[in-house]
Amino acid sequence: MTEAVQNVAQPQIEVENLNLWYGEKQALKNISMQIPKNSVTALIGPSGCGKSTFIRCLNRMNDLIKNCRVEGKVSIEGEDIYEKGVDVVELRKRVGMVFQKPNPFPMSIYDNIAYGPRIHGVNKKDLDGIVEFALRSAALWNETSDRLKSTAFSLSGGQQQRLCIARTLAVKPEIILFDEPCSALDPISTSRIEELIMNLKKDYTIVIVTHNMQQAARVSDYTGFFLMGELIEFGQTRQIFHNPKEQSTEDYITGRFG
Amino acid sequence: MELSSKVNETDHKSFRVQGGLGMGLNARTSERIAFALLGLSAMLVAGFVVIILAYIIYNGYSAISVEFLTEMPRMRMTQGGIYPAIVGTVLLIIGSMAVALPMGVMAAVYLNEYAGETRTTWLIEMAINNLAGTPSVVFGLFGLALFVKYFGFGSSILSASLTLSFLIIPVIIRSSQEALIAVPKEYRESSLALGISKWQTIRHVVLPAAIPGIVTGSILSIGRVAGETAPILLTGAAYFLPRLPDSIYSQFMALPYHLFVLATSGTNIAKTRPLQYGTALVLLMIVLGLNAIAVLIRRHYRKKLQI
Repeated sequence: MTEAVQNVAQPQIEVENLNLWYGEKQALKNISMQIPKNSVTALIGPSGCGKSTFIRCLNRMNDLIKNCRVEGKVSIEGEDIYEKGVDVVELRKRVGMVFQKPNPFPMSIYDNIAYGPRIHGVNKKDLDGIVEFALRSAALWNETSDRLKSTAFSLSGGQQQRLCIARTLAVKPEIILFDEPCSALDPISTSRIEELIMNLKKDYTIVIVTHNMQQAARVSDYTGFFLMGELIEFGQTRQIFHNPKEQSTEDYITGRFG
Repeated sequence: MELSSKVNETDHKSFRVQGGLGMGLNARTSERIAFALLGLSAMLVAGFVVIILAYIIYNGYSAISVEFLTEMPRMRMTQGGIYPAIVGTVLLIIGSMAVALPMGVMAAVYLNEYAGETRTTWLIEMAINNLAGTPSVVFGLFGLALFVKYFGFGSSILSASLTLSFLIIPVIIRSSQEALIAVPKEYRESSLALGISKWQTIRHVVLPAAIPGIVTGSILSIGRVAGETAPILLTGAAYFLPRLPDSIYSQFMALPYHLFVLATSGTNIAKTRPLQYGTALVLLMIVLGLNAIAVLIRRHYRKKLQI
């Protein structure tokens, strides 16, 4: 299943035999995966297959869900993040997340981005620099530099999503998780986000859940195909799309179901 | 879950109504009847409010004057003003809100954000519900026993304020909880995902977004504080006290009790009638004014938050 990425020298994220239950219902079955540093990994599969549940294990957002039980091991830089005594708040600083719907806070553009660093105790005089850095990295600076004080809701949907990416970048994560970041956006905004994701991989490791197969093919280096809580196939994107090993992967990619 | 059960309930009801009225009536006729009945009920409610307001304003406005608002009662309350009662009521509002607002909001945050669905929280919720349904005179007796006697605060502004704060805490908890529930879960999620702790998330994102709802609920409960008579009667309101309170341990006059006194045991009920209506009008204006402020605050924050 994972032999395709064995040539990776040092995986940044290692998942071993991950199982997850919502109450009695098992949502993830024995998932193992190795995600290399500075790469884009796309997770595809039909609705309800567990791909979103899976990336929410990587920053322990599933902790917020009642009756959710996790077994197995998820290591980031060799450290098991489910071990006792792990500081979840600290973990989420390292592993950022961008959600499906653009969800800026009801604050100004500036404050949306300064929010994280400010609470993490960054000096007030350094904030301007961080905000500019984050907005430039998210390709939003040119559109917003003259109206940083206006409300984030004055931005378009695509701009709001890039603002959310900037907000995540401002706390300087190592890994960024994208949970279907373009599903609420128009095609032009989508292509800007995709471009952005490809640029970001220089500095970050990226895991993206997507419903859009073309998107996975366009932006990712590795692809994992999920089906009914199982990781059916994982490998280099080109191999998954051109030469899938499993019949169900091929069926899904060619649009026979899902 | 609650929502879906409500939906089912209404489905069920409308089904029954259809079955009942359905005999011999087509859908359009029953629709018209329903519309007329519902509209009539709404009109009646609005009508009562207008009638009460008009009646009190009509009878009370002649009594209102600068003298009435700023002077002590004179001649065994048959002349002069209601200044000490206005001051007393304002002090009660300040005192009870100072206690009830922080306590209520903190309790709501705990129940909503921290407490799980345990037996203890169930008990707390039950207690709040029952507290909300307790007659106010019982609160008065409770305040008399606890604050006036046991703690020895005497018959005073302090005792009365504390008693009233207990009366409105359930209201503040409920409205704060509703305001907190209305904060989109995305705000919480995205804040937590930035490596912000739960408490910091609540403080910097959730509470600010909930403020309009909390303020609205609180101001409505101020109306209650301004209007309650039984609890303060037992814990500190004076029958007649033509001077302002000089400490939190002083007795005081308050508008609703003053009104009661004038209307029932006053020296000359017929003679003080204009004063009674004037007092009622002032009380009403304070409550309506506060409600108007609540609306303005809510609108201001809505605009700011653009929800």
